[in-house]
Amino acid sequence: MSESTLPDPHPLGRHEVARSGTSQPLPGALTSTPGVPQVTRHDLRFTGSAGEYFRLWIVNVALTLVTLGLYLPWARVRTRQYFYGHTWLDGQNFEYRANPSALLRGYLLVGALFALYSFAMQREYYWLGLPLLLLYVALYPWLVWRSLRFQAANTVHRGLNFSFHGTAGESYVAYGAANVAASIAGIFALPWAWFMQRQYQVKGLGYGQARGHFRGDVAPFYLIGLTSLGLSLAGGLVALLLGGVVAGAWSALSGELRAGTDVEDLLDGPTVLIFLGVAYVSFLLLYTVAWQYVRGATMKYVLNNAELGGVVRSGATFSPWGLVWLGVTNSLAQVVTLGLATPWAAIRRTRYVLDGVHVRTIADLDHFRGQAQQPGSALGEAATELLDIQVGF
Amino acid sequence: MTRPPAVTLRGVYFDGHSSRDRAATLSLGESAQLTLDGESHAFAVAALGVDPPVPGVRRVIRLPGGARFETTDFAPLLAWERASGRNRALRGVAWLEAHWVSALTAVGLAFALLGGFIVWGIPALATQAARVTPRGVLASFDEQTLHFLEEQDFIGPSGLPRERQAQLQREFRQVQGWAGGGYPYRLLLRDGEPAGAAGVGANAFALPNGTIVMTDQLVALARSDRELLGVLAHETGHVTRRHGLATVYQGLGLGLVTTLLTGDLVSASTFAAAVPAAILRGGYSRAAESEADRVSADFMRGRYGTTKPLQDILTRLEAGADARDSEPTWLDIFRSHPVTADRVAALKALDAR
Ligand SMILES: [Zn+2]
Repeated sequence: MSESTLPDPHPLGRHEVARSGTSQPLPGALTSTPGVPQVTRHDLRFTGSAGEYFRLWIVNVALTLVTLGLYLPWARVRTRQYFYGHTWLDGQNFEYRANPSALLRGYLLVGALFALYSFAMQREYYWLGLPLLLLYVALYPWLVWRSLRFQAANTVHRGLNFSFHGTAGESYVAYGAANVAASIAGIFALPWAWFMQRQYQVKGLGYGQARGHFRGDVAPFYLIGLTSLGLSLAGGLVALLLGGVVAGAWSALSGELRAGTDVEDLLDGPTVLIFLGVAYVSFLLLYTVAWQYVRGATMKYVLNNAELGGVVRSGATFSPWGLVWLGVTNSLAQVVTLGLATPWAAIRRTRYVLDGVHVRTIADLDHFRGQAQQPGSALGEAATELLDIQVGF
Repeated sequence: MTRPPAVTLRGVYFDGHSSRDRAATLSLGESAQLTLDGESHAFAVAALGVDPPVPGVRRVIRLPGGARFETTDFAPLLAWERASGRNRALRGVAWLEAHWVSALTAVGLAFALLGGFIVWGIPALATQAARVTPRGVLASFDEQTLHFLEEQDFIGPSGLPRERQAQLQREFRQVQGWAGGGYPYRLLLRDGEPAGAAGVGANAFALPNGTIVMTDQLVALARSDRELLGVLAHETGHVTRRHGLATVYQGLGLGLVTTLLTGDLVSASTFAAAVPAAILRGGYSRAAESEADRVSADFMRGRYGTTKPLQDILTRLEAGADARDSEPTWLDIFRSHPVTADRVAALKALDAR
């Protein structure tokens, strides 16, 4: 059946579907002079619930285990479909439509290569292991690029798919050169790498015929980096002191019991171990905190400086420190419940973030024109998911 | 199959060319009828793509030409899908996801499978992997471990007289010849307490490539050399059955599982992975000890017709360990095994056969 049987959209059609209550014109925009477009703010809404997602999660975990991992792509796709489908903007939800069988082929290929690599390295077959490692390093930016394309093209809103128009060459700058610079110059280049990567992601994003634009600058990324560095240094000092105090207390207590007062006696094995243990756990916690802060702060900054097609601007009001608190308490809950709180933690985080995200638009959201992009092969997506590369926001 | 009942769904229509949403109804019967702005459009039902259901998420029906119809009329659509046999597998998954009974069953199943994998799966895989590991890999283990033990003052040079050492080496050659397997066996006699109680004490252990260490303290504890030969035969059992390597692989496997479970919680996984590794340091599994005991029993019964000497030294080691109440080390804890009574009973049963 040809599409000509379907009517073309009316260019100035009314909205037949009731708008959600969260959209209202901004107070300032009401008094705007004629000719200046009216700005409308739409808050994102998340309708997922912890109980519902818990059932989806555990059933999919069990199915993945029973099928020895072959069900994993379906589990991943359903999870995303749940989160996308429960995210609403202006009365319409998002949709994730990746093909699980395509993902499975990618997973199997990446899994086989990884197994081959592990085998080669374990047997010290460096002639096989090192070329595989080099191949991975050389392909890394390309894989990220493919993954971004795949993710964007499989995201749908209002019947139109997103797309990604960044090039592979740009990816070799943002994910290749920038990462190399960051690994050489460390903290001096890392914020620049973050900036390059976020800019690459936002500028390349498309929705229908509209293109993304990033108004951000590199300086705030350095501010974020400095904040997390300061946090790490101060926290590291506290961790060392805490380790010292606990170890000292232990040493004093056990020393009394043994009635030994020599300094050498006080610095025995258990005392040193306790000091190292407390310091180690504190550093892990600190690392989590610093990393969560960087993630939350960059996400907020990016959302506050992203535009789409010159008519839509996103904005974020959530607090990065709130996200840090959420990350720490989520991790604790997951450890205490042996992982059973994982779905609750995911819902809690998503709700916190999405409740603090909105878009401001000077045109109605139903005026975008479509432009299809094929998702391409799932290899990049499979690689980034399996090898735990952090792309996306 | 029964003919699917005709259903009418209310929802939203997107044409796929613009982001404009329009109210529409879709009737599914002999053919599909889309009603849009009072106009009706017909499609063949076979040309529709019905995306599988996800709990609470608006359903999507893909129309020819990139258009789509989205609806929250879950029940009628589900009834139609059931009757027309669409999305059978994923409808089943969605049904499981919608019920607490199946979710709780899944919790039990997941824990049982994971527990089973950790308790039986990983040891079995580790044993297999240890068996097929090429011999070249083994050689480096022995030297590294010995170096570590000497550096940490767990063992030191033996204080036994030269003649006694030579005698023990001669006797070991009998065990070595009997054990076979082509490993470069060697017996190292060492002091188990070079720096006081921190050492390994009265002990014997085998390293993967056939290096067997026996301490002066164990030699002193024995009332006859038969007892020592029983212990050495037990250690060759650990070598030929590759228990040491299997233990290393088990630690790796557990680390991998914890990493997979904690997912992207990179920081927590490194910490969590250390815990099972530490638990494993208790020594070989009971199954491995029993296997090595059976190897030794073969040797003892073939040579002396009884495993009594091995039982005796096991019992004496246990008594000594209780008296010292020393902490177990990660080596083959020959002396402070918690189930010595069971092991002696098993040896007696072998003798009685
Ligand atoms: Zn043993």
